[in-house]
Amino acid sequence: MAVARRGLVLSVLAMLALSGVYVLALSHTPIEARQGLAQKIFYLHVPAAWSALLAFSLVGICGALYLWLHDPRLDRFGAASAEVGVAFGAVMLTTGPIWAKPIWGTWWTWDARLTLTLFLFFLFVGYLALRAALHDPGERARFSAVVGILGLLLVPFIHLSVYLFRTLHPQPIVLKPSKPSLPPEMLRTLLVSFVVFTLLYLGLVMLRYGLALIEEAAEEARDG
Amino acid sequence: MPESIRLALAIAAKDIRAELRSRTALLSAVVFAALVLVVFNFARDPTALSATVLAPSVLWVTFALAAMVALNRAFNVEREHGALDGLLLAPVPRGALFGGKLLANLAFVGTVEAVTLPLFVLFFNVDLGAALPGICGVTLLATIGFVSVGTIFSAMAVRTRFAELMLPVLLLPFMVPPLVGAVQVTSRLLADRPLSEMLGWLRLLALYDVVFVTLCTMVFPAVVDE
Amino acid sequence: MADVPQNGGYMIAAYIVTPVILVGYLVGLWLRVKKAGGS
Repeated sequence: MAVARRGLVLSVLAMLALSGVYVLALSHTPIEARQGLAQKIFYLHVPAAWSALLAFSLVGICGALYLWLHDPRLDRFGAASAEVGVAFGAVMLTTGPIWAKPIWGTWWTWDARLTLTLFLFFLFVGYLALRAALHDPGERARFSAVVGILGLLLVPFIHLSVYLFRTLHPQPIVLKPSKPSLPPEMLRTLLVSFVVFTLLYLGLVMLRYGLALIEEAAEEARDG
Repeated sequence: MPESIRLALAIAAKDIRAELRSRTALLSAVVFAALVLVVFNFARDPTALSATVLAPSVLWVTFALAAMVALNRAFNVEREHGALDGLLLAPVPRGALFGGKLLANLAFVGTVEAVTLPLFVLFFNVDLGAALPGICGVTLLATIGFVSVGTIFSAMAVRTRFAELMLPVLLLPFMVPPLVGAVQVTSRLLADRPLSEMLGWLRLLALYDVVFVTLCTMVFPAVVDE
Repeated sequence: MADVPQNGGYMIAAYIVTPVILVGYLVGLWLRVKKAGGS
């Protein structure tokens, strides 16, 4: 199907562009004096976080729109976005601790970013598990939409909980990663990486959406 | 509005009466809670950590797990009797239906909590004293939070084959903000801290309740209607 | 000024894990498309 093919092309191009980001990150950015080479994980981790959060927000928004408009394309897109979100979430959950260990001395910490990542991951998994357990398409679409909407609104509360917890229990932080004012080469590389990860998100979602279309057509051919 | 409220109360009363007759959800949850408390007691070293330090966490983990058992059983019993279908055919406003279910579930979970608390005091030798009214208050706040989302999810989970697994998977992330808030407030209550130290958490709990009760009322029709 | 920490190993680990996950998912998707009888 056309959508799947286009998605594949876009994803492959984005992955090739990712290698360009690698070149930029490895040879065109300075080494951060206090954090060393490990700081460069930042150019992958932060854009992956952006993609995961984008994926998640779209699942929730598509869910809300589906309950209003009942368009199955919204449900298909939400499901695609959730699966792609799991992939980016996995990248976050691996690069996060790999980055935390040399910088903060510990693999895991309950700071806002890592905690939110973990929750997004659980929510995505719950969403996909529910979909797998439901067989009526209408019911599956409605229930997924509800989970998506509720999940999206949970995110600010997780953030608030972590914030409240940390202001009352200040944790010693050895080194603070990524301050707002970045030298221009770092900022440029980061922005390029954001674009690449966004394109990768789009490509993967298109591919996954195309897969859903193909599977639905095959199912209809079987029943019809 | 009073008509809807009356309907909600009537629906809640019907559910509560049905549960009082069979008592399955209540009993399984209470027994479960007692077992959890016993395990906690054997799991800790009494000389290493005082009961008061552990108390809030133990209490709330127990409440949370027992609540899930109660929610699951409640909807399962409902499904077995097919009572929900009858209600759905009647022109009952969905908001009232959700309100009724929510009140009934609150009654179930609240009862389990009311039985668990004295057991907890007994097993762990914790002196609640002046903190009791505060603990009842925070328990109500937090319970409203997770029972509202739990009512939605148990209604969905019951339509899947592995309902007992699906409910925790869906519900646990949503229980975290109310649980964290409840544990923080409970520990401060037990330590006799001033109210000012708890306000932030209490506001989090209240805001969570308002947002999620409203949201769940709005999405309930999508869960029960075609 | 203190020495720059020698933690390049972590960077390499992260830089390998990331494309492994992403390409792995991409390939997985394409295989599923093929299996479902797609283009």
